[in-house]
Amino acid sequence: MAASVAKSRGLAGLLVQAALVVIVLALPLALDPYGYPLFVATQLGVYVIAAIGLNLLAGYAGQVSLGHGAFIAIGAYATALLTVDQGWSFWLAALAGVALSALMGVLMALPSFRLSTWYFAFITLAFAQVFEKMIVEWRGLTRGFAGVVGVQPPSVFGHVLEPAGVYWLVAIIAIIGFWLVNNLVHSRFGRGFVAVRDAPAAAQAAGASPARLKLLAFVIAACFAGVAGAFFAVQKTVVTPDDFTAEFSIFFLLTVVLGGLGTRWGPVVGALVFFLVPELLTGLESWRMMVYGAALLALMLFAPHGLVGAARSLFDRLRPKQAGQTTQPAETVQPQGAHVERPAISGLALEVKDLRKSFGGVVALGGVDLSVAPGTCAAIVGPNGSGKTTLLNVVGAYYRRDAGAVLLGGRETKGLSPQQIAGEGLGRTFQTPRLLGELTVLDNVLLGAFRRERASLPGTMLRLPGAMAEAERLRAEAMELLAFVGVADRADDLASETPHGHQRLVEIARALMGGARLIMLDEPAAGLSMTELDRLEQLIRRILALGATVVIVEHHLDLVASIASHVTVLDRGVVLASGAPQAVFADAAVMAAYMGERALNEQASDQLSDEAAGEVARPRPVPAKGA
Amino acid sequence: MDIDILARGLVAGSLYALVAVSFNILYRPTNVFNFAQGELVMLGAMVFASLATVLGWPWYAALIVTLLGVGLLTLLIDVVAVAPVLARSQHGTGWVITTLAASLIIANGVNRIWGPDPIVVRPPAPLTTDTFSLAGMTVSAYQIFLVLLTIILVLAIEQVYRTRQGKAVLAVAEDREAALLRGVNPLRLSHWSFFLGGAFAGLTGVLAAPVLYASTGLGPALLLKGFAAAAVGSIGNNRGALIAGYLIGVTEALGAALLSPGYQEAVVFLLVLCVLLVWPHGLFGRPFARTV
Amino acid sequence: MTMASNAGQAGELLLSVEQVDVGYGHVGVLEGVSLSVRRGSIAALVGRNGAGKSTLLRAISGLLTPSRGQIVFNGRAISRDKPHAIVGAGLLHVAEGRRLFRSQSVDDNLELGVYGLKMDAAGYQRRLARVFELFPVLEEKRRLPAGALSGGQQQMLAIGQAMMREPVLLMLDEPSLGLSPLLVDQVFAAIMALQQAGTTILLVEQLVERALEIASEAWVLQNGRMIASGPAAQIAASEELRAAYMAAH
Repeated sequence: MAASVAKSRGLAGLLVQAALVVIVLALPLALDPYGYPLFVATQLGVYVIAAIGLNLLAGYAGQVSLGHGAFIAIGAYATALLTVDQGWSFWLAALAGVALSALMGVLMALPSFRLSTWYFAFITLAFAQVFEKMIVEWRGLTRGFAGVVGVQPPSVFGHVLEPAGVYWLVAIIAIIGFWLVNNLVHSRFGRGFVAVRDAPAAAQAAGASPARLKLLAFVIAACFAGVAGAFFAVQKTVVTPDDFTAEFSIFFLLTVVLGGLGTRWGPVVGALVFFLVPELLTGLESWRMMVYGAALLALMLFAPHGLVGAARSLFDRLRPKQAGQTTQPAETVQPQGAHVERPAISGLALEVKDLRKSFGGVVALGGVDLSVAPGTCAAIVGPNGSGKTTLLNVVGAYYRRDAGAVLLGGRETKGLSPQQIAGEGLGRTFQTPRLLGELTVLDNVLLGAFRRERASLPGTMLRLPGAMAEAERLRAEAMELLAFVGVADRADDLASETPHGHQRLVEIARALMGGARLIMLDEPAAGLSMTELDRLEQLIRRILALGATVVIVEHHLDLVASIASHVTVLDRGVVLASGAPQAVFADAAVMAAYMGERALNEQASDQLSDEAAGEVARPRPVPAKGA
Repeated sequence: MDIDILARGLVAGSLYALVAVSFNILYRPTNVFNFAQGELVMLGAMVFASLATVLGWPWYAALIVTLLGVGLLTLLIDVVAVAPVLARSQHGTGWVITTLAASLIIANGVNRIWGPDPIVVRPPAPLTTDTFSLAGMTVSAYQIFLVLLTIILVLAIEQVYRTRQGKAVLAVAEDREAALLRGVNPLRLSHWSFFLGGAFAGLTGVLAAPVLYASTGLGPALLLKGFAAAAVGSIGNNRGALIAGYLIGVTEALGAALLSPGYQEAVVFLLVLCVLLVWPHGLFGRPFARTV
Repeated sequence: MTMASNAGQAGELLLSVEQVDVGYGHVGVLEGVSLSVRRGSIAALVGRNGAGKSTLLRAISGLLTPSRGQIVFNGRAISRDKPHAIVGAGLLHVAEGRRLFRSQSVDDNLELGVYGLKMDAAGYQRRLARVFELFPVLEEKRRLPAGALSGGQQQMLAIGQAMMREPVLLMLDEPSLGLSPLLVDQVFAAIMALQQAGTTILLVEQLVERALEIASEAWVLQNGRMIASGPAAQIAASEELRAAYMAAH
């Protein structure tokens, strides 16, 4: 029932979109071909093309760039100069413009790897200002303030295009661009972008490189802007520096924010409202920037997801709750997933030798040894602050080790990035689940397959059969994994609306999706109810039964005693004891350490804390009661 | 090498350092970087210029009104554009856009009120902008005053952070939750910081006016060079901002002398970019190590 | 001059948490939790890691707001109050993990303990002397940044910081964490001294046995629900409750 409702809504959506395309293409027939409205419509199309690119970069990938105008400028100037000065055809010149823009995109991406978001925003703003000045400075090339005059419209098969022809060209490119980016957003790349924006560690755990994804987003955005710039030159016929001030870049960001950052229709709506409204109120030209500023402010305060976002939440609130959408209580027992058949996994061994890591002056790991046989479950326990999570982070290369060896499946992982290690078969979950809240549970699991998906970029953007078939296969596998972990019925729910216990399971499914042969679980039992704990234990047993290796960091010693074949006790960065659970837990010294008192043996007392200095360990006196 | 470059660099650098300090004052309790800061400095210059030069007020009266006015406007920015966004989410970057919006509104507003023509501001006697020779450099009394006053102001601001309220601000910056548990009201501190930082920005504008001319186009360049000085000097570190300011000022002067003046911005930009790529937290590192 | 409205009958209810639900976003952590603390007593809150003890303290001190139920302190409903207002009312929370201002000196940290209070120099010195009397090592290291202190010394500083304010109710979240036995003794001695001087204490502790020794009442939290409460000796003696709060058997 729910499926057919979704289908019919999908069909209705398609029809509406088809109708829009028809209207857009039919527009010149209704308007005066040499009139101003058609010119405006073409201009709008140009801005939509650029906005789509910026929306991908700033909205989906989270890279707020205040210098986008520069990319458009490069496209415009390249096209103008090459056609006017060198007599190139529009098409070649535009292509050159796009290539140059793309190159600039690569350069702009580099700082984004190192700098946090708002530093990066400032750098791009600075760049926009410098660029503005440089256009004027290099007047030998750009003709300075006089500008490049006399840009001709493109010709197709020898015929110079009329304004209507230019409009159709722009409109078709805009529609195709919209379609291409939409396909991209709904693919592994789109998931990767959102991961880079919202949970970079999760991206790395899934085998995705945040730097590469940022680079990709920049290049694509730059290409779109380059194309827009080429047509900008044609429309204006004169290209001057005044067209590309820093204000212009800010205007662009506004467009995308107004429409709705990271939404599909945001760039279109934003360009529409932002462009048309001033055109209709020409008397307010001089107030323009002030109105834009006030609009931006109001928007961020009251509708941070832009017009599209506001419309969507309004729509959601008005729509009656459909059956199956009410959030189920977490306690509801889900099908156990024991019936789901999964292929065997060849578990990896893990060797850690004398691992050391300090932060500032604080020693987090002071020489840790760990040995995990393939296909077994090893547990790491210890009080808060003993270094358990740091150990996982160093093994996964999220922190760089100071010294020591880490061998995964017999191979040293030194120098590898977290995503490369993930590619070697290491999966993990996080202490606080790092899911992409805005995506569905199914999409979150699919993120895990990032490295495994072979479909190329063009294949994905063009929805080629090979890419589509692979996506289908992976979707089916993801559903299977969701069933395996026991949350199949929540596949289409937003991750942000999933209860805590289920989020943990989704993370595990994501790790399995990545083909993990050794899974590190960071305190998976924290915050779980009795039933959920039970289910977790069963799941871990099923994973072990498949042959994978499991390394679990935990406080719940019952769970550990039940499923682990080997336990290592950490205390303040060193191994206090290790062995079979029964032996370790029976050791009084170990339990004393866990309960917060310092063990009395020498190994532990070698430790760094200067509270040892001058304080002799002696048997504790029995405290007097009360007075 | 013309030693005047050094003089010019130090003077410009002092102004950039002052802008950076005003940034730092706002940043400490909020982790917010105000994109409207450049326009606030410019506003300070314009208001003072109008009161002192055009209306003929005595300089101390014009100064006080300017400081109060810009301080209050900055407080307004906090109340309207920053605090609501932070209340929604401590870690988002929505404030980038709202402070950007504020800068557009202020810039446009100022332009409409004052128009683009610069106003000449003469500093009160005996500080003149007449130049004389000192140790081979061509300097003016005002320039010397500016450089010295900047150092004094930086040291003075440091003293503010030695007071109990100042320590509370540092506490909020270091661990907001722990500060909450000690009875600190971060909202009140951020309001005060915005007011103080705004007044400081206004003061910077007043000090800059005789040197840069009070005009409405000052904002963007000061915003970025002020940010550069703050970032290179490590955000929150006022002495670092001072040194970074000098660095940027001198580089800019060198760039203008060796290449054409149009290139000086590009040179500074490249310098700042290179420094930040190597030391993303500025030359002086982070003030305290993060606990894992 | 006595501290904030501590005039009240010993034995009456100072803090009353009534049927609260607390969560983070969509994730519920505590459900229908109730707890009460009598004036002048030491109450122990025990339970395993992940049971929600810290969450409960955070709801009381105002860092979290309960979605249901209410919290009454000294006759005043505080469930919707901001943290600084709750501190002003005399309820202090020393969070786990020794949340100090590490870049500032011991002296500065202690000074921040009285942030917002008006007092003269003599009054301030008197309080400072009390803290140094209980924790002499802090006086030795008073000019050092708090980050340079050892874990145990930092814990003492955290308690000292709270003591400066002379709270009516002091909530301590796992003060013994990571401390050597000797230091644990000192900390527990300090807690008892504070109680004797009139401060009411709510203690969350990993060292359950020691906590139950000094407390008069105990509350047991498990998986977000309060499953038992009663005189500390009774709770300590109960075998079945042991399973609920002990980390291992």
